[in-house]
Amino acid sequence: MALRLEVVDLHKRYDEVLALDGLDLRVPEGEMVGFLGPNGAGKSTAMRAILGLVSIDAGRIECNGGPIGEEARRHIGYMPQERGLYQRMMVHEQISYFGRLAGLDGATANRRADEWVDRVGLSDRRDDLIQELSVGNQQRVQLAVSLVHEPNLLLLDEPFAGLDPVAVSTMIDVMKEQVASGVSVVFSSHQLDLVQDLTENVTIIAGGTTRASGRVSELRNNSPRRILEIEWVGEAPTWQPAAGVATTSRSGATTYDVAADTDPGALIAEAAQVGQIASVRYEPPGLDDIFLEIVGQDPS
Amino acid sequence: MSNRMIVEVAKREVVVRARTKSFRIITALLLLVAVAAPVAVRLWPSNDGIDEVSIGLGSGMTTDDGADLPAMLVSMGQQRYDFTFVDLSDASPAEVDAAIIGESAEGLNVDVVVEPGPTLAWKDRVDDELGFLIASALRQQGVLDRGAELGLTDEQIGAIVTPTTVTDRFVEEPDEFDETASLLAMLGLMTAFIIPQVFGQLALQSVVEEKSSGVVEVLLGQIRPRTLLAGKILGIGVLAVCQIAIVVGGMVGALLLLSDLELPGSPWMFVAVLSISLLGGMASYITLYALLGSLISRQEDAAQVMVPVFLPLMAGYIVGQTAAFGAADSLAAKVLTFIPLTTPMLLPVRVARNAISGVEIAVALGLLVLSVAVLVRLAERLYEFTLLRKGTRIGWVEAFRGLRAPSGS
Repeated sequence: MALRLEVVDLHKRYDEVLALDGLDLRVPEGEMVGFLGPNGAGKSTAMRAILGLVSIDAGRIECNGGPIGEEARRHIGYMPQERGLYQRMMVHEQISYFGRLAGLDGATANRRADEWVDRVGLSDRRDDLIQELSVGNQQRVQLAVSLVHEPNLLLLDEPFAGLDPVAVSTMIDVMKEQVASGVSVVFSSHQLDLVQDLTENVTIIAGGTTRASGRVSELRNNSPRRILEIEWVGEAPTWQPAAGVATTSRSGATTYDVAADTDPGALIAEAAQVGQIASVRYEPPGLDDIFLEIVGQDPS
Repeated sequence: MSNRMIVEVAKREVVVRARTKSFRIITALLLLVAVAAPVAVRLWPSNDGIDEVSIGLGSGMTTDDGADLPAMLVSMGQQRYDFTFVDLSDASPAEVDAAIIGESAEGLNVDVVVEPGPTLAWKDRVDDELGFLIASALRQQGVLDRGAELGLTDEQIGAIVTPTTVTDRFVEEPDEFDETASLLAMLGLMTAFIIPQVFGQLALQSVVEEKSSGVVEVLLGQIRPRTLLAGKILGIGVLAVCQIAIVVGGMVGALLLLSDLELPGSPWMFVAVLSISLLGGMASYITLYALLGSLISRQEDAAQVMVPVFLPLMAGYIVGQTAAFGAADSLAAKVLTFIPLTTPMLLPVRVARNAISGVEIAVALGLLVLSVAVLVRLAERLYEFTLLRKGTRIGWVEAFRGLRAPSGS
């Protein structure tokens, strides 16, 4: 599939701080990419570099197959980590204003603002000042602002931070709709369970470098570990498999962390000798474990 | 596209600022003062420099006694006094004193009493000017009386007492204090001192608000820093012009309604110079204050960064004030007229005082316009570097170092 965005070997240094150190990111057309990394990994800097908000020392950013420029950036929707809205502007007025700044004519910007006010569920707050809205509702406006000009690439920096479950649900719906309509979405988040539910594509960075990139299922399968969860009949026995360690235990169930090359059949047979097994789950580690596995390699 | 964006940014500044309570209240108050001032002057008319004076006439000083002192005083002092004469010829000395100190049982109240002698009776101090006038009238009256006694005709007496007309000749242009010119100069100075400051600080607040709320990051995702700055200067400038137009329009309207609009001599040069200077001053200071705003991230830090801009403003105001009421040709006034940041204050003052040539006006305005262009260009470059920087205040050295950094990618 053609790439909407390609970031290659990006470098950026702020005095003594190396913010980006050879970062790569590939975003196919009409797909969602989870852009993951610990705090300070360089996610926000990379997004700002894509938008041209910070200069880069080296590397290449391409959009739709060519070097990114002002015109291509006009078709990017951006939601920064630290939300940014004019507190003394009204909801509809604000969305329309950003639409006009993105190049829409007044009538179109107003019409789209009407549509987005409805879509994010703020019809009854249309003419309220932003400062009168709750944080969650302000985030809905922020999302509308990033989408009012119908971008083909959406950069969302921590879009779920501080949202209540209803707002998260709205955000997820909108993101899925955008992808379905051909928009490419890049989002960063620390809520890895949400990421795993939302997308198969992730790029994990640490220390300004891309550590892993690809489909979540591949990353999980490539892990050198597997998770074995056994639910016992009755009290869980004290058992330590030869090829792994017990990581967590709750009443009647134990989770074991084992090497990927372990024979699961042999392992379960060994377990059956120490207790009666009710059920077994054997699978690669989840995204949160993969993330820790990868980021843990980073000395920073 | 960029020009359209500049207009969009400017429109937002105008709309959002104009609907704030503080802007509306201040504009309404200024308008009220502008309209009320001429109305108050009309309802509370001045005496045009003429004082009301009550003079008591003792025995031998009233018309009934054949004296013409009142007529003489009216004739001699009509430019300066509005006389009321009180006949005290039958009053006792105690009643006279009571009339002078305002404790008369009959309610009489006089400023001075002319008694036989002649003697002038005052309360507790002599009014030199009034005393001199009464003494002159009495002397004149004496001359007339003696002329009549000598049998001179009225014409002969008239020829004797008619004062010689003395005219003045000046080797150089007379150095007169023109009150209207000075008031005009002061009006121009105050306007050029206050307006750029008020609206400049509005620009600073606007930039800091955008930085602290994080909205600048969203904005710069769509438009360039220079577009944002240009729109801000344009929008806040338009807002200032609108407020000035409302206030001046109100005052002129009130004056026209009262038929009191008497402009001195030829004010149009002053109005033109003040207008251009004010526009230049606003552009300069709004740009500077916006730039200062980009150096900080919190409103609390604003006072620290404003000092460098306040210095030329204060220098211009102090020298402008001395130029408005006196030394319009001093070296300081001449020099500051040609320094762009003080030109908006000094130039209107010196034009009002008629202390500057046409060539000098053209040069000063030319330098002002040129400096605005350079300042805006420089600010745009600095703005690109400072606008996305957060945290502690950015020093000037660091900001200028940023000029060498590449922008964007």
